[in-house]
Amino acid sequence: MQFIIDCWNSVMGDPTWFYLITTIAKLALMFILLLLFVVLSVWIERRIAGWIQDRPGPNRTGIPIHLLQRFGSKEKQPLKKWLEYFGVPANSWIAKLCTWLRLDREIPLFGLIQPMADGAKLFLKQEMTPSYVRKGFFIAAPMFVLGPPLIAAAVLPFSSSVDTCYGAINMCVANLNIGVLWIFAFSGLSVYGLTLAGWASNSKFPFIGGLRATAQLISYEVAMGLSIIPLLMMFSTLNLQEIVQNQAENGWTLVPLWGEGLSLQRWVLLLPMCISFLIFVTSVFAEANRTPFDMAECETDLVGGYHTEYSSMKFASFFMGEYVAMVVGSALVITLFLGGWSIGLGADVCLADWAKAAAITGSDQAATCWQSILGCCAGWIVVLLQFVAFIVKLVAFVFFFVWVRWTLPRFRFDQVMKLSWLVFFEIAVINILLTAAILYFIQ
Amino acid sequence: MDLPISQILFYLFALAALVSAFGVVAFRNPVSSAMCMAACFGFVAAIFFGLGAEFLGIVQIMVYAGAVLVLFLFVVMMLDVKKEEKLVVSLPAALVGTCIAAVFAGMITNVSLSLPGATDCCPMAAACETPANVQSNTTPNPSKFGGPLAAPKSGERSDTHILGEMIFTKYNIPFAILSFALLSACVGTVAISRKLRQD
Repeated sequence: MQFIIDCWNSVMGDPTWFYLITTIAKLALMFILLLLFVVLSVWIERRIAGWIQDRPGPNRTGIPIHLLQRFGSKEKQPLKKWLEYFGVPANSWIAKLCTWLRLDREIPLFGLIQPMADGAKLFLKQEMTPSYVRKGFFIAAPMFVLGPPLIAAAVLPFSSSVDTCYGAINMCVANLNIGVLWIFAFSGLSVYGLTLAGWASNSKFPFIGGLRATAQLISYEVAMGLSIIPLLMMFSTLNLQEIVQNQAENGWTLVPLWGEGLSLQRWVLLLPMCISFLIFVTSVFAEANRTPFDMAECETDLVGGYHTEYSSMKFASFFMGEYVAMVVGSALVITLFLGGWSIGLGADVCLADWAKAAAITGSDQAATCWQSILGCCAGWIVVLLQFVAFIVKLVAFVFFFVWVRWTLPRFRFDQVMKLSWLVFFEIAVINILLTAAILYFIQ
Repeated sequence: MDLPISQILFYLFALAALVSAFGVVAFRNPVSSAMCMAACFGFVAAIFFGLGAEFLGIVQIMVYAGAVLVLFLFVVMMLDVKKEEKLVVSLPAALVGTCIAAVFAGMITNVSLSLPGATDCCPMAAACETPANVQSNTTPNPSKFGGPLAAPKSGERSDTHILGEMIFTKYNIPFAILSFALLSACVGTVAISRKLRQD
């Protein structure tokens, strides 16, 4: 035991190893988080769709009871036996309720494993590669869609930093000084996947889908980039962790209710920030290829768009890539405009102070057992709370994404292009000038 | 042999960039060439990152790989090259091409050799704080990784800051002139490509 502790101490005491190990741990956490969110957003998508369209949605996916018989259970009707065991008569309301919940047929999970069932279905489907495609690009295209959003997520801060006895851990995988640009650059690269898929499929509808995707993504990238310049002027940094830290101390971009956020300047700046928010969110929808901007794959005029010729896991890669892009987009929106991991109302500053004070009392000689334990854990508790705040916001924004999808009808393609180049572009440029004027004249 | 990781990465990325740049010329299929070019941009961006010029690196990916090259690809796909053309080599053309390439290569070599830190070790290691040969007997330090792997140092100005200040103070007038040149080129392109109405 002592040997393991010594080993751990010597490895973690070395700054290089400490840095490598914490980075890999954060990397794994971020990756798992994103993939779990893909699964979760598929479930949210299908349940909310059902809810909005006044139907149950996938609420039946459970573990069927007859699987138990497969694994050696001799029992034909387990529910009946259980009811008898507890002495519940077969025609009482409890028995009826259990039957209504389908307990006699399955172990209900309320459709929670529906995404798993979807995934299994896609896995088991036949993998078809048509003979007329350009093979190399056809295979590479799904990777270009799934890879870039996963790379882009590396700079998203999911919590603040924590001080351990070996050094500080910053809770984002790569704390780059150009975080915002990093996300833009890499989410922009997924356009290659759509274009190549359309071209390599060597058939009509995928090609049109690919062209549409290229035009749309490039146009909205411009609007997206211009729309957040006012924000960057206000924070005067490109580092996402610093932006969130600033929001935690001085009020979220859209909710300046504490700290320096109560100054006149910040309240006047709310106008350009709201304009930025509208343009940015709309552009994120367009970048994620979601309704009302799903021009690249609208099934009414393009069969399936760029992925018409794809099947099985290659199709699933496109599907997942789209959902990862959606999750990363939502995370970027909440990071820039809604405080990221910040709990809000100045609670972050209080919590940080509390953690610091607890650490000091904990390291004191006179500290009781509880105080010293608290001193060790305080930083982690704060980080965990902030992480929960981040997840809650993320789920809320993913819900919003789905809500919009099932509420708004699809635009026409010329309307999409007009919206970007004739409306958003101009408004975003004017917005930059407006922000500059406010920052200069109102101190 | 004690090779710091930055040096290994530099040679790796440089080699990859050269190979993909060669691919641009070697492939007969225009889409393959375009994708090779994208890869080349990516590797050059990686070298920028290693040199600590994060802003330049990311702009390289964002503007060149993310926008300019996608437009290239767009056009190349629209062309629909049915028969990929056979390579025809004529001697005078090859000679002139070689001469121009040699002059250009000489110029670049000359410029890069006159840069600070160009000859003593590889540039990515030089960009890190301490030289590679000192590091072997001291405790290894995360800043040895350089670039994106390095722990951010507090209080140091980012290269975005430095670049912005340079452009908007010292080189403000050339920058403005260049912007106007680009703007006029844009307007000119639109004016040329637009068909005049016949009424």
